[in-house]
Amino acid sequence: MRSRGPKTQDPRPKTQDPRPLDFRMKIAVCIKQVPTREWQPRLNDDKTWVRDQDVSYEMNEPDAYALEEGLRLREKHSGEVVVCSAGPARVQQVIREALARGADRAIHVEDDGLAAADAFAAASALAPAMAEQKFDLILTGLQSDDQGHAQFGPVLAEKLAIPHSTIIMEVNVDPSTGSGQGAGSLRVKRELEGGWFQYVSMPLPALLTIQSGINTLRYATLKGIMAAKKKEIAKVAAPAGSARSRQKITALYAPQKAKQTVMIGGSPAEAAKELVKRLREEARVL
Amino acid sequence: MEAWRNVNRETLEVDVLIVGAGPAGLSAALRLAQLQKQQGGEPLSIAVIEKAPDAGRHQLSGALLDPSTLHELIPEYESKGAPLGTAVDNDNIYFLTQKSKFRLPITPPPFQNHGNYIISLSHFTKWLASQVEAEGIDLFWGFPGQHVLYEGSRVIGVRTGDRGLDKHGKPKGAFEPGADIHAKVTIFADGVRGHLTRQLYSDLQIGRDAEPAQFAIGIKELWDIPKDRLKPGTVIHTLGYPLRQEEFGGSWLYAMNDGRISIGFVVGLEYHDPLFDPHAAFQHFKRHPFITRILDGGQVVRYGAKAVPEGGWNTQPKLFADGALIVGDAANFVNSTRLKGIHLAMRSGMLAAETALAAVRRNDTSSNTLSAYKSRVDASAIKTELYPMRNVHQSFGAGLIAGGAYAGIAMFTNGRLLPDWHGHAGHRVMRTIEKYYGLEKRDILVPSNAAPIDRKITFDKVTGAHYSGTHHDEDQPVHLLVQTDVCHSICGSEFGHPCVKFCPANVYEMVDDGTGGKRLQINASNCVHCKTCDIMDPYQVITWVAPEGGEGPSYDGM
Amino acid sequence: MILVIAEQKDGKLNRASWETIAAAQQLSGGAMPITVAVAGERVSGAAGELAQAEVTEVIAAEHAALAHYTPDAFVQALGQVIGEVKPALVFFPHTYQTRDFSPTLATKLDRALVTDVIGVKQTGGTPTFSRPMFQGKLTADVQAQGPAPHLVTIQIGAFRADAAQKGSSAAPIKNQPVTVDEGKLRQKPEAPFQEAKQAVDLSQAERIVAVGRGIKSQENIAVAEQLAKAFGAELAASRPICDNGWLPMERQIGSSGQTVAPKLYVALGISGAIQHLVGMKGSRTIVAINKDAEAPVFEVADYGIQGDLFELAPAIIAELQK
Repeated sequence: MRSRGPKTQDPRPKTQDPRPLDFRMKIAVCIKQVPTREWQPRLNDDKTWVRDQDVSYEMNEPDAYALEEGLRLREKHSGEVVVCSAGPARVQQVIREALARGADRAIHVEDDGLAAADAFAAASALAPAMAEQKFDLILTGLQSDDQGHAQFGPVLAEKLAIPHSTIIMEVNVDPSTGSGQGAGSLRVKRELEGGWFQYVSMPLPALLTIQSGINTLRYATLKGIMAAKKKEIAKVAAPAGSARSRQKITALYAPQKAKQTVMIGGSPAEAAKELVKRLREEARVL
Repeated sequence: MEAWRNVNRETLEVDVLIVGAGPAGLSAALRLAQLQKQQGGEPLSIAVIEKAPDAGRHQLSGALLDPSTLHELIPEYESKGAPLGTAVDNDNIYFLTQKSKFRLPITPPPFQNHGNYIISLSHFTKWLASQVEAEGIDLFWGFPGQHVLYEGSRVIGVRTGDRGLDKHGKPKGAFEPGADIHAKVTIFADGVRGHLTRQLYSDLQIGRDAEPAQFAIGIKELWDIPKDRLKPGTVIHTLGYPLRQEEFGGSWLYAMNDGRISIGFVVGLEYHDPLFDPHAAFQHFKRHPFITRILDGGQVVRYGAKAVPEGGWNTQPKLFADGALIVGDAANFVNSTRLKGIHLAMRSGMLAAETALAAVRRNDTSSNTLSAYKSRVDASAIKTELYPMRNVHQSFGAGLIAGGAYAGIAMFTNGRLLPDWHGHAGHRVMRTIEKYYGLEKRDILVPSNAAPIDRKITFDKVTGAHYSGTHHDEDQPVHLLVQTDVCHSICGSEFGHPCVKFCPANVYEMVDDGTGGKRLQINASNCVHCKTCDIMDPYQVITWVAPEGGEGPSYDGM
Repeated sequence: MILVIAEQKDGKLNRASWETIAAAQQLSGGAMPITVAVAGERVSGAAGELAQAEVTEVIAAEHAALAHYTPDAFVQALGQVIGEVKPALVFFPHTYQTRDFSPTLATKLDRALVTDVIGVKQTGGTPTFSRPMFQGKLTADVQAQGPAPHLVTIQIGAFRADAAQKGSSAAPIKNQPVTVDEGKLRQKPEAPFQEAKQAVDLSQAERIVAVGRGIKSQENIAVAEQLAKAFGAELAASRPICDNGWLPMERQIGSSGQTVAPKLYVALGISGAIQHLVGMKGSRTIVAINKDAEAPVFEVADYGIQGDLFELAPAIIAELQK
């Protein structure tokens, strides 16, 4: 038996499927809140993390594309989109933004300790709450713009014992006509290196990590923002004995260019000769 | 914009619309919520729209906060965690010459800051926004107002900006036309030289009976310096070098906690020299030995700029119209002598809220009823503070000494005994190259006060733009409307392209046009939304409109 | 002992495998034995190549189910290899393929995984890995937590393939039988295909020649094009060039364009405004050519020539063609 729909009383925005309470896909989108691109990092006193005063935050960009993909799939196949996020209270900002863009409800695993946690800790924190929901499809960005481990998706998939594929450019769902958990399958386009691509199929439920730029992000409307305030954000405590990060940062620093610029002089012909020689023999880039 | 008239727009009906989530707008929102709770009855529907993507992102100021209004608006501000930064510990005023400094032995009253706080306006606004949100008021981030909506001469609301247009004005994939928000009362809190208030100026002639507005540009940097170098709470202001007698302005340097300092330079936008560059003046200031010693070994963290209303009490426009009220910087409520405006912005917001609530409840939001706002302002601390100093800025038009003398007399007599001094809009007093330089040959694209850039203490404008965190999608219509050919015809010879100099972010450039001449290039994505170009261009042909919502500088900590 | 997992496709070794061996050799400093494993359907050729490296042993793990990559098959097979070999560390190249299965493998083994590593060192006997954070604005030194083995993926290009030391004699090759439960393979891949190049993807280019204001006019862009061709490089530009429309926006490097870190970046007539530098300063080798000795670009350059690019470019092209 599929679980029931979200407890919204609002009339559905016009973009959503008008069929009442006949959900085909229960889609989760895992979203991370990260410092904005323009943020200039400043280190804390012991240089193992950043000072978080004066930080503005935004939705991790690849996750925004994952959200958009989730919303499009819901429009196509009907269903619900649930935002899942782990972190301190401030991550409500990106949860609300996702709800304003059209997600139906949210799950927030609130834990201050997750602010600097690595992908493994974040996936461990979310897995129990998400397992309960029995999602058909989980979407998330291919990596986060802050720590960039590119692990969260596959780790979560393994913890939920569902198949996954990464760096996805296109998602096609083949909905089955049966009911019950696990119906339907996916055929997705994976990006490979060097301009190569590959289609991969797998059954649902499954998890995909989404590449940036695969669709055009929609804007939140005024109505969407207002409706977001009434949508459910289920607060879930971080699981007891929550797994800690598997990496310990011993030092954090601005990348040093330990380089002395070699100025090459002489006539143009001489300088050219010297440069090419050094590029060939010293730098070995030719 | 006309092509989208028939497009299906989102519409929203509210009782009160507040345009702008700075200290004025947020105080208005909060006051409305408080009064409603006190008075009971049917709650009003209230909406606040703001172009920044998040609270505080476009907020910049020195800043020294006079907490008097905060006491009244939120008496429990301490327990509610108001980020009051650092209490002022000591005030210092210096007069600088190129190599030395003279400390004023007495600090004149307007510069005494005991009881005030060095704050980050960005942080403070973030906190204020959280108070407003806690009241359940809808705050719409990333929604700039773009057009005032009228029914005849009645203001009926605001249309927000279109989103998702390409640089040719054609809709892209996710195009959303601007939404029409209709309100019984619209409170315009759109900041200095607000682009919506500017429409009220032209459509409703709200400036008709006021002195011409006058402005200054303030350029600011945040620095981290060694922690023990300056005592937190140290307030420094300087006059003199590098400005000449004919230029009005000065600097500030405030020491916050943990080695963070706020340093900035203010120049009146009414200088005569068309080749003058305010940003260059700021760099010269930093190279003064006294200042360099403070910055040495430090690291610049942020950069930004904004225009500041300087004209004072007599430059306030008509503050009300059918369905409209104007608050904060948009109403020119800044005490330029004390260099403070935040507490006035907040108070004006509160008074507008009181007026708006009463009017909506009476079902009468006509100009007549809303004129009560002006009466409230006249009876308030805003007038008590601004009225005596009402001519100070205008008097500086006659030079530093005259202005100083006038300011002194004004302070002592509380503004009596002196007739009102008339001022000019700053862009009108810029002299032509011919008038200023005579027959002297000059390279017009080089500022007359060009400063050496060492990339340790002094930086160029492009680097500044980088440190402002400003970001705009390249593929959108240019938001600086320059619909004229003067740039290519007469401006060069008349004024030497002053936009290239007065913009602090390198938005305007004269580049080779490939046929031996020059053309104007607008690097719109560098814009930091300071409004200087809209104010200062001598032909008044630059119109700043809001770029796509959510874009602009990222003034974390400013 | 460090186990390096090499990557091959259709018998051909991915060059990044050598980079990974180099990284392992650097960390080991001769103190830790290194074993290289390669998995696939038929890998004897690849194994033979790998045996040329200065390593203790090469393991060939062959199975029909490994002919076409799937995460499930590779996790099964490599999990077994790791179980057999019992290394302290497992190094992988941070390829798209590795990203697809290494977190799964790590979770199954319940072991730490450190990804995208750009530097390795021993700190008081503990291996420490450097990796970029906050889009390269900061570098973090991290140590893996928990029991061995620790899994590590090495960023492509962070180490040089030709820095992998060759052995004096070929290392022994061991065939490691692996079992793959094909009933448990959930993903069904189809044949990879190439798509017509739509947009310019400078982030994949190994060499880039970028042109700035110093080029002076649109006609002169041809000079930069020729230089790029001579270097076998992609052509890119600083912002003013794109603003003028002399090159399309996709070729822009900088905070409003692309961020790149190629092996070679030649900045031709670029002053080095900070908006441009943040887009390229991660490049391995930077060459700057500019008339102005004070230009900020020289601060990030490995090699700098102060001079007239219109004289230098032809001279460099001539040298390259020798």
